Amino acid sequence: MAMVQSRNLKYRVWTARIVMWLFLLVILFPFFMIISVSLRTGNFATGSLIPENPSLEHWYLALGIPWENADGSITQPPFPVLTWLWNSIKVAITSSAMILILATTGAYAFARLRFRFKQQMLTAMMILQMFPAVLALVAIYSLFDQIGDYIPWLGLDSLGSVTLAYLGGMALHIWLIKGYFETIDNSLEEAAAIDGATPWQAFRFVLLPLSVPILAVVFILAFIASIAEYPVASVLLQSMDNLTLAVGSRQYLNPQNYLWGDFAAAAVLSGLPITVIFLACQRWIVGGLTSGGVKG
Amino acid sequence: MAEVKLVSISKSYDQGKTWTLKDINLNIDNGEFIAFIGPSGCGKSTLLRMICGLEDITSGELSINGERVNDRPPNERRAGMVFQSYALYPHMSVAENMAFGLKLAKAKKDVIDERVGEAARILQLQALLERKPKAMSGGQRQRVAIGRSIVQQPRVFLFDEPLSNLDVALRVQMRQEIARLHRRLKTTSIYVTHDQVEAMTLADHIVVLSPLAQDATTNLEQVGKPLELYHHPANLFVAGFIGSPKMNFFDGVIEQNGEEESRIRLTTGESLKAYVNTSKADIGVRVILGIRPEHTLAETDNGNSVDGRIEALERLGAESFIYMSHDTIREHFIVRVEDSLRREEGSRIRVELPPEHCYLFDAKGIAFRRTRAPEIDH
Repeated sequence: MAMVQSRNLKYRVWTARIVMWLFLLVILFPFFMIISVSLRTGNFATGSLIPENPSLEHWYLALGIPWENADGSITQPPFPVLTWLWNSIKVAITSSAMILILATTGAYAFARLRFRFKQQMLTAMMILQMFPAVLALVAIYSLFDQIGDYIPWLGLDSLGSVTLAYLGGMALHIWLIKGYFETIDNSLEEAAAIDGATPWQAFRFVLLPLSVPILAVVFILAFIASIAEYPVASVLLQSMDNLTLAVGSRQYLNPQNYLWGDFAAAAVLSGLPITVIFLACQRWIVGGLTSGGVKG
Repeated sequence: MAEVKLVSISKSYDQGKTWTLKDINLNIDNGEFIAFIGPSGCGKSTLLRMICGLEDITSGELSINGERVNDRPPNERRAGMVFQSYALYPHMSVAENMAFGLKLAKAKKDVIDERVGEAARILQLQALLERKPKAMSGGQRQRVAIGRSIVQQPRVFLFDEPLSNLDVALRVQMRQEIARLHRRLKTTSIYVTHDQVEAMTLADHIVVLSPLAQDATTNLEQVGKPLELYHHPANLFVAGFIGSPKMNFFDGVIEQNGEEESRIRLTTGESLKAYVNTSKADIGVRVILGIRPEHTLAETDNGNSVDGRIEALERLGAESFIYMSHDTIREHFIVRVEDSLRREEGSRIRVELPPEHCYLFDAKGIAFRRTRAPEIDH
């Protein structure tokens, strides 16, 4: 569509571009700082953006490789950072996958089925979700303490407990998916029913394939939230080998000795799975999937 | 192939506080083409959705081939449905759309291919089998929707206003295709429409439904052949609904009753003859005289005419409609003429109402039998 445009529109486009670039810089600057800190010799939070004596010391330690100092002494990696990263990925993938399954089926019920107290339940979920999980830390702690007596792998200091606790943040995802389901014409599932599909088959073969974009978005959001979550994990996890990366990186920040360099390297690492998941899910986030099915 | 029987079917969405449909009784024979027609809000789509199982039946009994199916889910009723919105699966190609039901039923691949191929051939969709719905026109999409029900070989075809989203030319073409399809497959079909032309041209029998009045016992107004509804409407509602433009009504009283012919005096004092049997009615009772615009004769007076003033003219080329005012009717009455070049708005003319074309209804709206109208077998 080549619409005729006035000349001063060009300037406006350029102004918009410059503003966008500035905005992007504001976002990217802290990220560059962290990379810079992780490449500096020693543990200094301040310094020039481009390190004067770049060193891979912090990265060696983060990746679990002993580092030979300039004076010949060997520094052993203080913490199992890669184990933490792996823990984070395990928790994030399991909890996001379960959130996806439960939120999708839950959203289907709210979007399509008729039952008592539906509206009240939706509102209640929304309101409860508004309280931060931090407020319930004590409750979460004692809950999992109790659960651990019966199911050890869901008790305190287990990755299972963190995974289960993260499922609690599902209400917003249910709202999100429900909203998307409601944009899909009900007559598609009716047609499937006429074609001989059971309600489950109509859901599985008609509704779900059309909802892939929102499912990808929900998966990414849940994944990011899980990787970045600190308070709940810090209370539930205790032993060194069980920590997630978000909790573990705190170990570098001792009260007397902030190991900023090591911390920065670990922080950059935690961004890795998020990037991978986002790139993998990106191709599912497409528009226009439902067009053409029904007369609009 | 199936017979569909509705016994005293009713529908209420609020546990009997208000009713959408009440006491619908129908026998649909094997291979018959039935149209449900009525203004919006009369429940015709609801009735169709009850037959295929998308709505539950509040009371009454629905049977297909003698078997009660009230509580059977849609997937067990073997009814094919074509939706007004097409409702194609947007993520599947035409072939996949049509094969979906058979795949669910775990049909063998060669059976699926054969049936899809057959349906595509009947509907001339062979070239489009790999296309997605969004790359097709409205008429093609509706054809795919029809094909999707054909491959299932349903016992009953249900059409829910299938053509109302198409433009006029396409609608005429698809109407003929549906008629041809029915002649070929001879499957029992139920067709919901608000377009009386579709109903008149397609259906063996038409079911006229009305929005349920407060104290009415049913909203099934009449079941009959298309021309039966036209010549012998059972009541005022059917008379006003069938025919376009709609029938003109004049208030009056019976002046002289009889088995063969009657005389009606309009409230303006004009006395008109009508070939209707009013032998069971008393002289002086209030009646409503009806006549269709296409049966009136403008500027003619054979002794059975009324006087009126031309309010507006609608010139359509082949025919014209004159909107006239008359003291017995609040709005206007419509007169059809071949051409209207010589007539002017504001002038007064006489309009002949031939007695053999007159309809007569009592105060409750029930029709008196016309004596000189074509007889139509039921």
